[in-house]
Amino acid sequence: MDTILSVKDLEVEFSTYGGTVKAVRGVSFDVTRGETLAIVGESGCGKSVTVQSLMGLIPMPPGRITNGTATLNGKSILNLPAAEANKFRGVEIGMIFQDPMSSLNPTMTIGDQIAETLKVHRGKSDREAFSMAVELLERTHIPEASKRAKQYPFEFSGGMLQRAMIAQSLACNPAILIADEPTTALDVTIQAQILELMLELQRTENMSIILITHDLAVVARMADRVAVMYAGQVIESGTVDDIFYRSSHPYTLGLKEAMPSNTHDRDKSLTPILGSPPDLFKPPTGCGYCARCPYAMSVCAEHLPPATRISESHEAKCWLHHATAPRIKELHQLDDQDAG
Amino acid sequence: MLAYTLKRLIAGVITVWFIATATFIAMHQVPGDPLMNDKAVSAEIRANLEAKYGLDKPVTEQYFIFLGNMLTGDFGISFTQQNRKVNDIIRDHFPVSATLGLLAIFFAATGGVLWGALTAVYRNRLPDIIIMFLVILGISVPSFVFAALGQLFLVNLNSLAGQSIIPVAGWGTFSHMLMPSMVLGLGTMALLTRLMRSSMLEIVNEDYIKTARAKGLSPTRIFFRHQLRNAILPVITVLGPQIAAITTGGFVVELVFAIPGLGRYFVQAVQQLDYTVIMGTTVFYGAFLVLMVIIVDILYGFIDPRVRLS
Repeated sequence: MDTILSVKDLEVEFSTYGGTVKAVRGVSFDVTRGETLAIVGESGCGKSVTVQSLMGLIPMPPGRITNGTATLNGKSILNLPAAEANKFRGVEIGMIFQDPMSSLNPTMTIGDQIAETLKVHRGKSDREAFSMAVELLERTHIPEASKRAKQYPFEFSGGMLQRAMIAQSLACNPAILIADEPTTALDVTIQAQILELMLELQRTENMSIILITHDLAVVARMADRVAVMYAGQVIESGTVDDIFYRSSHPYTLGLKEAMPSNTHDRDKSLTPILGSPPDLFKPPTGCGYCARCPYAMSVCAEHLPPATRISESHEAKCWLHHATAPRIKELHQLDDQDAG
Repeated sequence: MLAYTLKRLIAGVITVWFIATATFIAMHQVPGDPLMNDKAVSAEIRANLEAKYGLDKPVTEQYFIFLGNMLTGDFGISFTQQNRKVNDIIRDHFPVSATLGLLAIFFAATGGVLWGALTAVYRNRLPDIIIMFLVILGISVPSFVFAALGQLFLVNLNSLAGQSIIPVAGWGTFSHMLMPSMVLGLGTMALLTRLMRSSMLEIVNEDYIKTARAKGLSPTRIFFRHQLRNAILPVITVLGPQIAAITTGGFVVELVFAIPGLGRYFVQAVQQLDYTVIMGTTVFYGAFLVLMVIIVDILYGFIDPRVRLS
């Protein structure tokens, strides 16, 4: 496999008045060319901090990368000074954000903002960069692109702005597009269009996508591989089928239970995950999910579960996969299949 | 943009009319009149004078005469200064105040934006702490103290040099204008520095700054192209009223530096109940303020596209 980005044991913390928040606690993942990796998890589990620290976007101080490595095509990208980081930011990795309405400069035209990337990284002239910007807007299916390029963000709708953001992030043909909850601020029909556009561009550009979301429906539609994050750690990772059909962590199971589905009995109520994530000012010594887990054992509260390899592509961090742990029907489908 | 400008101008004319009316009413509510000055005059002379100046007519009629004259640009003759028209007073002395004021605003705006941006960049570090300390001084110390200190500085400078490099007082050349305009602009500069600093700090956390960084732009480019232009908007908003405040409020500084500005006449007229001069200068200053606000609004439209079209 052609690995482009490799993140190992990433740890990020923030010093605040209330103490130190350990937002990311040892995250590892790889991104290979042309695939979509979805990072899922609830608010505050460290998804955004993970990718923002890769891009050097977390404010330092108060933020601090305390451990780990991240290599892009073999070169380290963590803790670089701005001048070094700008060799890959916007060039090899493009990024789009949650709220397109506030993610573009309100006092610059859309075309100028896209052209700016090309001028800075590709040394294009004003006119050349602007006409390339118009082409990029056309590629993201913005009608009347040459006219729209001269307009300001306040003259665009949310969906159109997100298209413009995508056009901007694609300016230098990046190998990876990081999309940090790209559809959360958009209504459902526009969401579908934006996701469709991302898939289309991924195919034509042979680009990898890191998609951050808390929407499992989006994951099912977009992702090749999934990393489920909880309390600053990846607790389960695998192909999209591994995660949805062979869930091996009680948290993933819980997320699925909480998700509406049109195949289930419509009268059956959804089961929420009770409680709230642990306080990352004082991260738990054991498994972070322990307090909310219906299958919690005494070992869970005391020791961090090791990563168990369930199959070639599939890993989970849960004590239930220990040889001496009780078998839980929902979690050990694969094992049972093998046995039977 | 044209419709926007036109709309602002019409609103401005109405505002000036309001100012004129309010001034007229307020003045006629004040006990006494311009003929009640230090020297007592006999009843006959008084009646003659009242007839001459139109003070014997009903107040409403006086009001319409005043409005009519104002429309033709005639503010009448001063009650207290010999043979002097209000228009002449304004024509002779306003350019001096305006030059001083605009220069002061120039110092205040450039200084405010510069220091404000600087403090935001060095937030909570030594340059920030020092500048913000000076800003508090600039806001709380009255201008006559700075005026006196400024003069003292010039005196020392000149005596050190053994010759007059920069004149201590008076009016005429550019070097005359330097110190008084800096003193006059100091308070506003301090105010704008604070405004600019908070605006810059707010903008740093905006999503589009994060986008700019994710695009791989250099910090300098982000600062000038993305941060400064957006941060400057609130500063421009207050610039209009500040221009008026400086040009009209310069009278203390004008006095200390012996500058023949309009401020002195304005204050004198109020003390002596010189109806025509009060009315003339107030309406004139009012119109000037309104004009400045309109100009700033139009300027704002050029910087912020959202204002232009709405």
